[in-house]
Amino acid sequence: MIALSLVIWLPLAVSLLAALLPGQWSGRVAAAGSLVTLGFAVSLLFGFDTHVGGLQDVTDKVWIGELGTHYKIGVDGLNLALVLLAALLFAAAFVAAAMREWERPSTFFVWLGLAQSAVFGALLAQDLLLFVAFFDLMLIPFYFLTGGWGGPNRVAATTKLVIYTLVGSLLMLAAAIATGVLAEPSGGHLSFVLSDLRALGLSKGSQEWIFLCFAAAFLVKMPAFPLHAWMPDGYRAMPLPVLAVFSGVLSKVGAYGFLRIVLPLFPQASAHYQTLMLLIALASILYGSVMAFTQTDMRLIVGYSSVAQLGFITLGIFALRPAGAQGAVLQMVNHGLVTAALFFIIGVIAARAGSEDIREMGGIAFRAPVLAALFLIVALATLAMPGSSNFVGEFLILLGAFQAKIVIAIVAFTGVVLASVYALRAFIRAMHNRLGESVESHEIGLRDVVVIAPLVLVILAIALDPQVALIRGQRTVTASISAAQAIVNPPSAAAGVPITTGTPASPGTVSPPAGAAQQLPQRNGGSGPSSSAGSSSGGSGP
Amino acid sequence: MSATTFGWLILLCPLLGTVVIALAWRWLPGASAGWIATLAIALSFGLSVAALIALLGRHPAHRELSSTLWSYASSVGLDAKLQILVDPLSVFMALVVSGVSTLIHLYSVAYMASDRGYRRYFAYLNYFVFSMLLLVEAANFLLLIVGWAFVGAASYLLISFWYRRRTATAAGIKAFVVNVVGDVGLVLGTYFIFKHLGTLDFLKVFAGVKDAFAPNQGDLVAGCVLLLVGAFAKSAQIPLHTWLPDAMEGPTPVSALIHATTMVTAGVYLIARMHPLFEHAPAAQDVGAIIGCLTLLIAGTIGLAVTDLKRVIAYSTMSQIGYMIMGVSVGAYAAGLFHLMTHAFFKALLFMAAGSLIGAMAGEQSLDRMGGFRKAMPFTYVCFIFGGLALSGVPPFSGFFSKDEVLLLTANQGGWHWILYVGGYLGALLTALYTWRMIFRAFHGEPVPEALELERGTIAHGHPFNPATGEQEDTDVGFPGPEHHTAERAASMRIAMAVLAALALLGGLIQIPHFDNAISNFLRPAFADSSLYDQSPSDTLLVVGLVLGALLGVLGILIAYRVWVQRPGTAERVRRRLAPVHRLFVEKWYFDELYDIVFVRSGAAIGRFAQLSFERVVVNGVLVGGSAGLVRAGSAAVRALQDGLVRVYAALLVFGVAAVALYFLLQSS
Repeated sequence: MIALSLVIWLPLAVSLLAALLPGQWSGRVAAAGSLVTLGFAVSLLFGFDTHVGGLQDVTDKVWIGELGTHYKIGVDGLNLALVLLAALLFAAAFVAAAMREWERPSTFFVWLGLAQSAVFGALLAQDLLLFVAFFDLMLIPFYFLTGGWGGPNRVAATTKLVIYTLVGSLLMLAAAIATGVLAEPSGGHLSFVLSDLRALGLSKGSQEWIFLCFAAAFLVKMPAFPLHAWMPDGYRAMPLPVLAVFSGVLSKVGAYGFLRIVLPLFPQASAHYQTLMLLIALASILYGSVMAFTQTDMRLIVGYSSVAQLGFITLGIFALRPAGAQGAVLQMVNHGLVTAALFFIIGVIAARAGSEDIREMGGIAFRAPVLAALFLIVALATLAMPGSSNFVGEFLILLGAFQAKIVIAIVAFTGVVLASVYALRAFIRAMHNRLGESVESHEIGLRDVVVIAPLVLVILAIALDPQVALIRGQRTVTASISAAQAIVNPPSAAAGVPITTGTPASPGTVSPPAGAAQQLPQRNGGSGPSSSAGSSSGGSGP
Repeated sequence: MSATTFGWLILLCPLLGTVVIALAWRWLPGASAGWIATLAIALSFGLSVAALIALLGRHPAHRELSSTLWSYASSVGLDAKLQILVDPLSVFMALVVSGVSTLIHLYSVAYMASDRGYRRYFAYLNYFVFSMLLLVEAANFLLLIVGWAFVGAASYLLISFWYRRRTATAAGIKAFVVNVVGDVGLVLGTYFIFKHLGTLDFLKVFAGVKDAFAPNQGDLVAGCVLLLVGAFAKSAQIPLHTWLPDAMEGPTPVSALIHATTMVTAGVYLIARMHPLFEHAPAAQDVGAIIGCLTLLIAGTIGLAVTDLKRVIAYSTMSQIGYMIMGVSVGAYAAGLFHLMTHAFFKALLFMAAGSLIGAMAGEQSLDRMGGFRKAMPFTYVCFIFGGLALSGVPPFSGFFSKDEVLLLTANQGGWHWILYVGGYLGALLTALYTWRMIFRAFHGEPVPEALELERGTIAHGHPFNPATGEQEDTDVGFPGPEHHTAERAASMRIAMAVLAALALLGGLIQIPHFDNAISNFLRPAFADSSLYDQSPSDTLLVVGLVLGALLGVLGILIAYRVWVQRPGTAERVRRRLAPVHRLFVEKWYFDELYDIVFVRSGAAIGRFAQLSFERVVVNGVLVGGSAGLVRAGSAAVRALQDGLVRVYAALLVFGVAAVALYFLLQSS
């Protein structure tokens, strides 16, 4: 068993060590380090006990005693998949970056290593202040990576990024301190440990403004409509390997924050603002989708599609139903995989077309069938084609929304149709039709294959068995929304069903949300993947 | 081996075919990819036969078997497994799908021989068949949706197979998006059913539907109508049919595959599979029946006006699927599925024959440019005649028996269903008219230069221009291909067509009323819970229907002969006299224009508006400008002293934290 602290700090340590080496070596060593980290993360998956709820591998040390804040980290069903995702995408980014030339390479890799450590920290933190600290630390390397190694418009992009995330961070910091102080029992000890805070609870009035502060920070990070204005410039300016992790992982930390912090700690406020959050999610879905199919810059097509996809994730979370939350967690992983893969593919395509604008692309598929096949798989996963894990995520999210607010769910389905338009439009305009004027099509090179192919393989693997992710998440995910769910959908109503239905056969009164929730505990036991192929037939031979 | 093992193997063969060709394409020499693909589907057909025998060996009450590989998405109340259902209905579908697809593969081996995308083509083709087999064997809603979407994706890939043509990629995305609309209907319908039953498993849903819902209960009707949306999108029924004619951009054998087996029949299958739900929601059944009838009439009128050879056949598919949808929606399950089977035979045959003709025309598809091919292509001509007679429902060809059975059972419902009955026979007349218009125009009259050239023994090489846009064709991707193939010369094409011609002639004989009824009897166990399955309409109605059907078919052919062969100017005169009506038909009742305005243009306009005004003014202007201005003003002093973002950030962070901490320390003390 590996201590989680090792996973958190290894990337930073390796990149600092690598910085001492000469230029081209620092990248290679950092990349090798990221692969080792990935190995550790995978071992977490195998060491994870699916039969136990709650945290595993906990480290808990007092950090600042006077402030009641602990260095408490732990893994559970909520962050396990995201830690793996982060490890995988950072490894891909490190490998991709190591094969390119950078100015000041050692500094670049130090920032990237710091970013990875901070992301792991934010995902694993089980103390509110520790989470906030890692969350802010996570942003700083990206300011420097964008400002120092970004595209032509990097100064304006960095300014916007800093302003937006700074406002969010400060609000969150204030809200976090307030949470601890207000929750402190009279005569008790100040504590920021999440489990303590959860046990204490806040008054509804305090919950409401604190909720808004956290929501602002997380929605900016995702980004959600209408707080996405930093996104277009930011996405255009970031170097592609950085953008892949930024869009793939960091946006998920915002969504993760809702499930880890907001819903368990502020259940009444979450229930209170449910409709508002669902509407923001819906607006993000529709606005992001419509923008995505009018953009011509590939990065922005993916960027706005992320706004829409994060909208779906928010929708799932604030459906406040187990199905929605489960779908949201699965979709975070799925979306991280496809966006990162897409940004790497954009790099490959842009190298052939000489531009990242789809108007100057076209016909690349003909001499690059492997590239076309990889892109096609990722594009189909992006639009959540049934058969992909993205579809399972979306199916669960929309099922949760359907159970919560049926009208919002039906309108959200527009986003499903629009996704097929923008994803295929991007694919066709790049790969099909006539050859663009300055396009020089040739097959994808080995350097790009080693980055993209593993991501595509993971996409295919979880498409075949999304259960791997679902089974590990369900206990924790259900637990993290249970308090808020109990408010919007009181168990008394569900319990009332057997009473009102005197006749069991009376139609139409079966209450599915309650039924679904009740079924859950029984399922935890032995619903692992059942084995044996063709022999498991339903009946004996003739 | 048990029937379910065969069921899994039926799926495995085409999947393996796809994977092998996709991974090893670089090393597959010559025509081998085509033969691997054909073999894979032929094996699937053989295994379907084995599954049939295994099923027949069991007692009729025990012919519904399901088998699970692994849990696919079982969490929070969902129970989706990788699970197939092997019962008479799925085996019947698997037999039709794999059987006809084998012949289409065989045909393609020659037809696509000179295409540069030969191996890619067969990988897609196997994937297409795999998807359809998955669709018909799925045992729960989630897997059904997966198969459903795979079929849509495969059709997209094949429709835009010649992807350098803008028209082909446009047709592909159109088909895909319309099909996603259908997927959405299917998913939403599933939600409505899951809401009340808490399971996705077909057998559990069917068993529980009567307890969970009152007849015609709102949620059930909503669910069923949404399932119908899925069915309409896949089966090209109004108003979701617009993708089908455009799908003609794909290679001709793909059209055969889409039209005969792998795609448009999915909606018919879905309604038959979901019969316990639909019988409990008669309102939804009525929707299906009416849409089916409308589609068969509207498609018939368009088929009469279009001049593109493949589009005439495409509209005839729409129309024939209308019959099937109407049939399964009024409870004529065996009849609808019987028509599905016979239609698969003669429609595949007609498309293959059309492919042969298009080969002779060097890619040209317009009927206006064809004529007099009778002597040049006798084999193709005979195939067209067989297909045409079966399509028009002339006895003893297969279409005769199946179409009349659908209409007979529709009339048996009584009431307003008589209107559908009359509509159906009107459609039968239209069918005969447009079919024989096509045949007479292509094969009779003065031979065109291409026909004369073929009579002399050479094949015409045509004009490398896209008829739709006038763009020069990019022959790099194989269109229209350096060589052309006609059934007169390629053995594999001829074999495939000969088998189908025989089936078009004889296929109807396995289900003759009062005689053998093989299909009804075989399918009965799958419909054991149906109250509509065993209807016994009066013999008078039966005889009247058969006679009427035969007479209308022959009448249509005679009119067509008179108009297009005996008095060639007649059509022109009629067209001039009825110009507005003709215009309506040629413009396909303006569905495309309507959708273009309502969805495509308005969607793009909203997007542009959002981009130019909202994004630029509100989001970037007010929000960014406002907050940036605020920060700028606040940090002006700091900036003056120490430039640089980091310092600003650090300073702000320190001040901010200090202020907040101070506030709370004051509060808590």
